[in-house]
Amino acid sequence: MPFIIPFGRSFFKKIEWAIKFACFVHLIGEHVTEVTMCIGPSMLPTFNMIGDIVVLEHFSPKLKRLEIGDVVVCISPTNPWRAVCKRILGMPGDRICIDPTVINRKYIIVPRGHVWLQGDNMSNSTDSRSYGPVPYALIRGRVFARIWPQTCWIKNGMIPLQDE
Amino acid sequence: MLNLFHNFNVRTFIRAAAWGPVILFFVEHGFSIGSIQGRSMQPTFNPDSNKLRRDVVLLNRWIAVTHEYARGDVVTLYAPDDPDRMITKRIIALEGDTVFTTLPHPDKFVKIPKGHCWFEGDDIFHSKDSNEYGPVPLALINAKVSYILLPFSRFGKIERVESSRVSVFKDD
Repeated sequence: MPFIIPFGRSFFKKIEWAIKFACFVHLIGEHVTEVTMCIGPSMLPTFNMIGDIVVLEHFSPKLKRLEIGDVVVCISPTNPWRAVCKRILGMPGDRICIDPTVINRKYIIVPRGHVWLQGDNMSNSTDSRSYGPVPYALIRGRVFARIWPQTCWIKNGMIPLQDE
Repeated sequence: MLNLFHNFNVRTFIRAAAWGPVILFFVEHGFSIGSIQGRSMQPTFNPDSNKLRRDVVLLNRWIAVTHEYARGDVVTLYAPDDPDRMITKRIIALEGDTVFTTLPHPDKFVKIPKGHCWFEGDDIFHSKDSNEYGPVPLALINAKVSYILLPFSRFGKIERVESSRVSVFKDD
């Protein structure tokens, strides 16, 4: 660690620099980019069940540049300790069919300041269908790349239908 | 490049700037200062004796890391309908409780779901709160308002006031 040497050689100086460095790393992880693991079957075709190491960036939620189809990590509305990884399927004002497979279909209009999140594996995912629209402020970041396994970019998978 | 480090001014600058992340960490997760706007918390904050001056308060932001909330705490949270706006309200009920609502809410009683809370302003007639939004996720809470700093005449700790319109859920 050559950058420590000019500023002092004592033990306490080293601890002081370790604290500063830890705070700097935490700040980067909180506001710039973060590496996390997402585990579980809810995003199955995109991410596997035993865990993917993904990278997320914190700029898009802050600059309000999220769109339908983006994969985001957000804090679970039912448990403030947990973060969940889902795909945005509705922005404020969109009219959404909660479950198209039942006969009596229910529709909901996403309220102001909320988003509709769903996992890619719709048959095994606890998402907005059970806890409703999620406030935008709970979104932590947008997933843009996967490191392991198979390093690749995570793209917005939205294909807009053409109007006749 | 190494010569640069022997320059006294550069060394002083780097030494000062290196404390920046530590200070930011303390402000984001420790304690910070905020001012309260509006009249929704009126007997507690911004009373008429203030004459439109805003209260300055001390925010305990460590509470958003530990998630230890109690009924009656005054907290700041992101408005559920607008991620850019912060609102200051009092926690009325936590998960499992049943609340007797007031007017804008369509139901008479509400049971708070898991991980949610019910919050209301102290001035219930000038407050846009859970009676309009419904229960909100606990993760929206950003800080706990613990002290009034300015005006100095009302300096002091903020009391925990529990509401009588709640039936508290008791876990055996």
